[in-house]
Amino acid sequence: MKGLTLNCMDRKSEAYELVRLGLKNDLKSHVCWHVYGLLYRSDREYREAIKCYRNALRIDPDNIEILRDLSLLQFLRSMPQDETVEGVPKSYNVDGKGRFIVAQMRDLTGFVETRQQLLTLKPNHRMNWIGFAVAHHLISNGAKAVEILEAYEGTLEDDYPPDNERCEHGEMLLYKISLLEECGFLERALEELHKKEPKIVDKLTYKEQEVSLLVKLGRMEEGANLYKALLAMNPDNYRYHEGLQKCCVLHSENGKYSSDETDQLDALYKSLAKEYTWSSTVKRIPLDFLQGDKFRDAAVNYIKPLLTKGVPSLFSDLSPLYDHPGKASLLTTDFPSPFELKQADIIEQLVLQLEHSVRNDGRYPERTEKEPPSTLLWILFFLAQHYDRRGQYDVALSKIDEAIQHTPTVIDLYSVKSRILKHAGDFSAAASLADEARCMDLADRYINSECVKRMLQADQVALAEKTAVLFTKDGDQHNNLHDMQCMWYELASGESYFRQGDLGWALKKFLAVEKHYADITEDQFDFHSYCLRKMTLRAYVEMLKFQDRLHSHAYFHKAAASAIRCYLKLYDSPLNSPAEEEDNTSKTPSQKKKMKKLRKAERAKKLCFISGGEEKNEESSASGNSKFGKRHIKPVDPDPHGEKLLKTEDPLAETSKYLKLLQKHSPDSLETHLLSFEANMRKQKILLAFQAVKQLLRLDAENPDSHRCLIKFFHKVESMPAPVTDAEKLVRSVLEAERPSISQLQNKTLSEANKVFLGKYEDSLMHRVAVAEMLNILDPARKLEAVKLIEDSSNKVMPTNGALGPVMEWKLKDCIAVHKLLDKVLIDQDAALRWKVRCAEYFPYSTYFEGSRSSAVHNSLNNLDINTTVNGGASYPGISGSENSVASNGKLEAFKNLTI
Amino acid sequence: MVCIRKATMDDLLAMQACNLLCLPENYQMKYYLYHILSWPQFLYVAEDYNGRIVGYVLAKMDEESNECHGHITSLAVLRTHRKLGLATKLMNAAQAAMEQVFEAEYVSLHVRKSNRAAFNLYTQTLGYKIHDVEAKYYADGEDAYDMRKQLKAKPSHQHGHHHHHHGGECCSGEGRNTQVTQTRGDSKTESKASMKLESKAV
Repeated sequence: MKGLTLNCMDRKSEAYELVRLGLKNDLKSHVCWHVYGLLYRSDREYREAIKCYRNALRIDPDNIEILRDLSLLQFLRSMPQDETVEGVPKSYNVDGKGRFIVAQMRDLTGFVETRQQLLTLKPNHRMNWIGFAVAHHLISNGAKAVEILEAYEGTLEDDYPPDNERCEHGEMLLYKISLLEECGFLERALEELHKKEPKIVDKLTYKEQEVSLLVKLGRMEEGANLYKALLAMNPDNYRYHEGLQKCCVLHSENGKYSSDETDQLDALYKSLAKEYTWSSTVKRIPLDFLQGDKFRDAAVNYIKPLLTKGVPSLFSDLSPLYDHPGKASLLTTDFPSPFELKQADIIEQLVLQLEHSVRNDGRYPERTEKEPPSTLLWILFFLAQHYDRRGQYDVALSKIDEAIQHTPTVIDLYSVKSRILKHAGDFSAAASLADEARCMDLADRYINSECVKRMLQADQVALAEKTAVLFTKDGDQHNNLHDMQCMWYELASGESYFRQGDLGWALKKFLAVEKHYADITEDQFDFHSYCLRKMTLRAYVEMLKFQDRLHSHAYFHKAAASAIRCYLKLYDSPLNSPAEEEDNTSKTPSQKKKMKKLRKAERAKKLCFISGGEEKNEESSASGNSKFGKRHIKPVDPDPHGEKLLKTEDPLAETSKYLKLLQKHSPDSLETHLLSFEANMRKQKILLAFQAVKQLLRLDAENPDSHRCLIKFFHKVESMPAPVTDAEKLVRSVLEAERPSISQLQNKTLSEANKVFLGKYEDSLMHRVAVAEMLNILDPARKLEAVKLIEDSSNKVMPTNGALGPVMEWKLKDCIAVHKLLDKVLIDQDAALRWKVRCAEYFPYSTYFEGSRSSAVHNSLNNLDINTTVNGGASYPGISGSENSVASNGKLEAFKNLTI
Repeated sequence: MVCIRKATMDDLLAMQACNLLCLPENYQMKYYLYHILSWPQFLYVAEDYNGRIVGYVLAKMDEESNECHGHITSLAVLRTHRKLGLATKLMNAAQAAMEQVFEAEYVSLHVRKSNRAAFNLYTQTLGYKIHDVEAKYYADGEDAYDMRKQLKAKPSHQHGHHHHHHGGECCSGEGRNTQVTQTRGDSKTESKASMKLESKAV
C-alpha cells in the first residue's frame, strides 16, 4: 500500500484505483482507509478525506497519525472550495447527514475533541498540550487555553528552558500573556509579563505587549514613557506615535482637533522634533493637525529640504492632505469645507512662491545660500503632480515638460508625465511614454511593471505580455507570472480583454486570480503542525484569522466582480463570438478584420507559451516533489484560451458561487449588491433581487446606481403578470408588504419618485443621467425628454482658489459612461455625437472623445494606424534595443517603423 | 513620512505585490507565510502616508548550518520611494531582531554582481563585506556576491537587555538607488527542507 501514495504524485487515477482495490480486499484495513483519505486530501476533496479518516479511526480509534490528520482537516476554516471547486463530492451520507459539512467549514468542537484525545494518548508531547490549548482558544475559550498552558508549565522543571529552546518557550509565554489580555485579565497579564521577563527572549515584543496592557489599564503616564522609549528605538513607527498621542489623550480618529488639543499636540511634537532632529516623520505628523499660518510655516519647513534633496515621493506623501472628503476632490455632492480646501491651496501657494524665488533668484525666499539647479526640477516635478491631482492637465503637462527640458535624464519625470496623460484620457500616449521611461533603465523591473500596466490600460495586451516577460523567465519557463501569483497583472490584462470583448480570455484571467486565493487557503495546511512545533503561536492564530477574511481582499473582490460581469455579458449576448462585435463601433470594418486576425495570432502565440510551459513541467516531474511546498505538478490546462469557459451552459449559474463569496466577504460594497441585483433580475429571482435593492438602500440610498436598481426593480414588479401559483402569490404579498417601508416610494408612483430624486440632485451629472435613464425605462415615449435632461446638464467651474486656470467639475470617466448610455441604451446617435463634440472640448487629451490634443488625433493626422499595429506588433523595437527610446514624448513616434 | 513597522499577516499580500513590482526574484504566498510563521520578528514593512506598502524586508535564520546566523531573503523599496533611507531602516530593524532574539553571529545575503546601487548600500552604509562569489546563482545566469556582516557577538542570557538602537544612523549616507536585492527563487528546495512538511509514515 505504501508505494501507492507515491504513485499519486504523478498518476492519480491509478493510485485511486489501487487503493480502492486494497479496500476491496480488506475493508477493515485502517491503513487503506487512511491512504484513501490522504489521496482525497491531496485533491482538496476534504469531505471525502474526513470520511475516510473516520472510517479508519473506527477500526483503530487510537491511531495517532490518523487523529492528527483528522485534526488538521477539522481546522480548515473558511472553505472557498466548497463554493468554487467543480465536482463537489456527491454523497455525504457515509457517517451521517451533513455532519461533514460542518466538520470542514469549521468543526472546531470536533477539533477540540480530537486534540483532547491526542493529549490523553501522548501527554508527554509538548505539541499535544499546545494543540489542545490552541483548540480552546479557537472556540473562544481563552481562559481554558490559559489553564492548559499553565498545567503544561507545571510539568516543566524549574531550570526550563534549555538554551536551545529559549526562543520557543519565550514565544509560548508571550502567547499566554496575549491570551490573558484577550480575556480581559489585564492585571494578571501584566503581572505574568513582569514575572516572566527573564524568560521572554523577544524584548521588543515584550515592550509592545507591556505598553498595550498599561494603556488598557489606564496607566497613561507609564504608557507614554514606554512609548517614548519605543520611539527612541524607531521614531518612524506610526503605531508608536498614535499610542503616545492616545496616552496624552490627544489622538483623534477622524483628524479633528480642538484648538486646545492642537496646541498640546504642537508642543508635544516640538519637543519630539528637538529629540529626533533627523526624523522627517516627526515633522510630517504636525501637518495633519495644524491649521492656517501654523500649518503654512510647518509645511514650508517640511517641504523645502525635501525639494532640495530631491525626494520623488514628496507629493504622494502630502497627498492625503488633499484627500479628505470635499478637499480638493471634485465630487459634486460634497461641499468642500473652507478649512479643508485651504490645506491644498496653501501648499499650492507656497510651492509656487518657492518656484518663483528659485527660478529668479536661485534660492529660497529669505535665504542666503543658493539652491542646486536640481531644486527647480523637483519643484516642477511636485507642481506637475499637484495640478494633475486638481485635474488641470494642461498646466500639469507644461510643468512636467519644463522639468524634462531642464534635465532630460531623470526617469521619474517620464513616469509622472505618463500618469498625467493617463488621467487626462490619452492611454496610448501614456503607454508610449512609460515605455520611453522603461528603455532608460532596462534593468529596473519597477519601471517595466509600470509600463506593462500602461500598455494594458491602452489595451495593448500582446505588447504588454512581451514586455512583462522580459523579467519573468524562470529557467525554460517563458512566463512565471501565474506561478508567482502576479495578480495585478492578471487582473489588468483580464480587464483589458473584457474591454475588448474577449470574454474567454478575460474569464481565464479573473478565474486565475480566484484560484490563487484558493491556493493560499490551502497553504495553511502545512503550517498547522509546523507552528505547534515552532511555537510561533501568536503569528499562527493571526494567520488563521487572516485566512478567514482572505476573500475580502481587494484583488479577490475585483476578480470575482469582474468574473460575474463576464458571465452577465455572456448571458446577455450568447453569440458565438459576442466579443468581436462589441465596442468596436468606432472602428472601420477593415480595422475590425485586422483585430480579428490579430487576436487569432495572439491566441496561436499563447498556445506556444503554454506548450512551452508544459515541457518544463514534464522535465521537472522527473526531479519530483522538490517543488516548493506540495503544490502538484500542473496538469495540462485543457482550456488554455478560456473557450470552454465561454461555452458554459448556464452563465448565470456560474455567477452564484462568486456572488456568495462577495456577499460573505464584501457585504459593505455597493458593487456586491449591484451585481447581485443584476444577476438575480436575470435569473427571475425576485426576492433575492429585492434583497440586493434593500442592501443598496442601506449602504447608500443617494447613489445613482441604488436609485436605478430601486426603480428598475419595482418597474419590473409592476409589469409582471398577475400571480398564479402559490409561490408567485407569496412573492407578491411579500413585496406589497415591503413597499410601504421604503421611504423613497412612500405614497408615490415610480415616476414621482424619479422626479423627487432629480429635484434633490439637479446639479449632479450622474444623478441626472440616472433619472433620465429611468425616465426612458418607465415610459419609452419620453425618450427625448430623457436625452434633453442629460444634454441640459452643465459643467461648472469648481470653487477652488487655483492660481492657474479653472477646474471643471465633470469627470472623464463619467462622461464616457454618459456617451455610452446615449449611444447604446437611449440609442440616439445624434445626441451621442453632440455629447462627444462637447466632451472633446472639456477633455482635449481624451482619445475616447478624440480631443484635439489627444494622440488619437495625432495618429489620424500622421496617417498611422497605431492601435492595431501596436496590438499585434510582431517585432517590437523597444525590447531588443533602445534605438527608438529617445524623445518620442508621447506622440508614438517610437512605433513608426513597426511592421506586422 | 514613511512608517517603518513590523509586518502583520495582512501585509503579506501587499509585500508580495511589492516584490513582484520591483524584483525579478519572486515567491509564492506560501513562502511569505513560512517566513512570518517562523520568524515573525524579522519581517518589516515601509508603509507610506496613504497606507500603501512601499518596501519590505523578508529575513530568516539559517538553521541548516552550525553557525547561528541570519539571512536576508529579500529586500525591496519601490522606485518611487527612494532617497528616504527606507532600505537602511528596514535592514537595521531586521538585523537588530536577529541579534537580539536569536543571538545571530552574522547576517548574510546575496546580491547581483551588476546591482551597483544595492552593492553600495550594503558595503558603504550597512557594513557588509564580500564573503564569496556564487557563480550563476540567479536563474538568468548572473553571479551573486555572497555578503556578510558581523553582528555583535554577545553573552547569552542577558537580563533587562535593551533593544538595539538603530534610529540614529538611519538617514545618513543612504544609497541613491535603494531598489534592491537578493535571494533567487531557491525557496522551493529550501523551505521543503526546513519545514519538514508533516512527515507521514503510513
